[in-house]
Amino acid sequence: MTIDVLDPTHGEEHPELQPVDRLTSLDGLTVGIVSNGKQGTRPFFDAFERELRDTYGVAEVVRRTKTNYSAPADPEIMDEATEWSALVSGIGD
Amino acid sequence: MNGERLSVPSVGIMTSAFVDAAELMGHVLGAPGFPFVVVEHPISSADAAMLTERAEKAAAECVAVLLGQPLTRS
Amino acid sequence: MAPVVDQLQSRRFTLDAAHEAQEFYHSRGWSDGLPVVPPTPEAVAACLDWVGLPPDHLVGVEPVRQRAITAEKVAINAVMAGCLPMHMPVLVTAITAMLSEPFGVHGATASTGGSAILLVVNGPIRAEVGMTSTFNAAGPSDRATTVIGRAVRLVVMNLLDVRPGGIDRSTFGHPGKISFCVAEDEEHSPWLPLAAERLTPAGVDPAMAYDPATSAVTAMAAMAPRQIMNEWTTEPERILDTYVAEIRANMRHYSIWPGHYAIVIPPQLRAHFEAAGWSKADIRAYVFSRARIRREEWSEVGKGAVVGDKGDREYQALPDEDHLLVVAAGGPAGGFGLVIPPWLGPKSRAVTVPVGACVDC
Repeated sequence: MTIDVLDPTHGEEHPELQPVDRLTSLDGLTVGIVSNGKQGTRPFFDAFERELRDTYGVAEVVRRTKTNYSAPADPEIMDEATEWSALVSGIGD
Repeated sequence: MNGERLSVPSVGIMTSAFVDAAELMGHVLGAPGFPFVVVEHPISSADAAMLTERAEKAAAECVAVLLGQPLTRS
Repeated sequence: MAPVVDQLQSRRFTLDAAHEAQEFYHSRGWSDGLPVVPPTPEAVAACLDWVGLPPDHLVGVEPVRQRAITAEKVAINAVMAGCLPMHMPVLVTAITAMLSEPFGVHGATASTGGSAILLVVNGPIRAEVGMTSTFNAAGPSDRATTVIGRAVRLVVMNLLDVRPGGIDRSTFGHPGKISFCVAEDEEHSPWLPLAAERLTPAGVDPAMAYDPATSAVTAMAAMAPRQIMNEWTTEPERILDTYVAEIRANMRHYSIWPGHYAIVIPPQLRAHFEAAGWSKADIRAYVFSRARIRREEWSEVGKGAVVGDKGDREYQALPDEDHLLVVAAGGPAGGFGLVIPPWLGPKSRAVTVPVGACVDC
């Protein structure tokens, strides 16, 4: 029997940041990883990418470097991101 | 984000442990409400086994956010 | 006017079954790790109905991003913590105190120091909601204090975004961060309640001015409680010397900076103060004068490197007598006492708010 439960956070105050569609699986999809490309984080994101492919069935991983380290992604990358199924962004890394 | 609409399900990864709390707030203030997972430091000096472990944990948490569901594996 | 349940603004999720709520909330970082009671619209509405607040009533403002903390959001976290509707008045009051400017909630909860939020509850509401102030007073003494203390932490996590490893940079924290709520024992105490003195303006006699029908909550940023023991004297000064020794140890071992200390005095020791006719004011005066160390004492505890030529400088634990919170609580047997040190000196002030006060009335 279903139940309705409520969000205990402020989540609902930023509807512009709600995902348009919920994903039900990453199997066969394309995921973009956007980081600031710092050398030290590359091996981490390599392992992260491997895990997405091996365990979650992600078909394609696109790696991009952003210029503004404190924001999720540049406008140019956001344009490209419309072709992806999901975006993972390194913040402050 | 400047209020730009995200057309793609997204999640952030915070990888620095030494970021001061106020600075951390500054990062996310650029995109209020943007969901993120935190990965333990250090990243750059971690050995391969530790990196893999952290990457797996981060991937699981990111996937949970993206799917909006309890953790599952395919 | 639409029923409260239809006025709720929060995002709703439909789960296939009630038990899925655990993984759903935990995987999003919305829980402290313990199971949560699923916050259904009906349960949340029941909390708001009891406390008579509309969902969008402003309880306070989250200080960093200036976001509104509404009654609805507090009620959601209350239900998750296990609160019943009747716990809401105390919880709303606690949140109000925590969000007030002198408390400095952002620093207190984000700091590496890892303090918890100690709540001390006074007044008739304690008995009305089943709080006990005897056995286990500083631990899980009863449902009400345990879930209200927990709800405060869930609010801090979910509405202030303070989570371990995120904004919460605590090196250790302590178990009080799960829940830390004490009901004062007013019925078996010779003294006025903590809130009576803290809410009465200076120069006015609290015994005359304080209305015993008042219920109130005091919030203090607090480190873990330390237990002392002195069953070998009936002299108030000697008993307090043991409390003072623990305060001085905190100054030597943890932090030398002055701030609020709370001391909890159980029945077995209160009897001696009562026999000697000591008031809380007498206790505060004695502790204020004695709880001091000289900087050179740091050399004895491994901190000699920073003594320098300031060895003679004296530091007080308390900026003034009123910074000592004296609380009557504890089980009937045991000549123990508690010393609860501040997070970090003067950076956070304890705040006392009467139940029923509001910022948006």
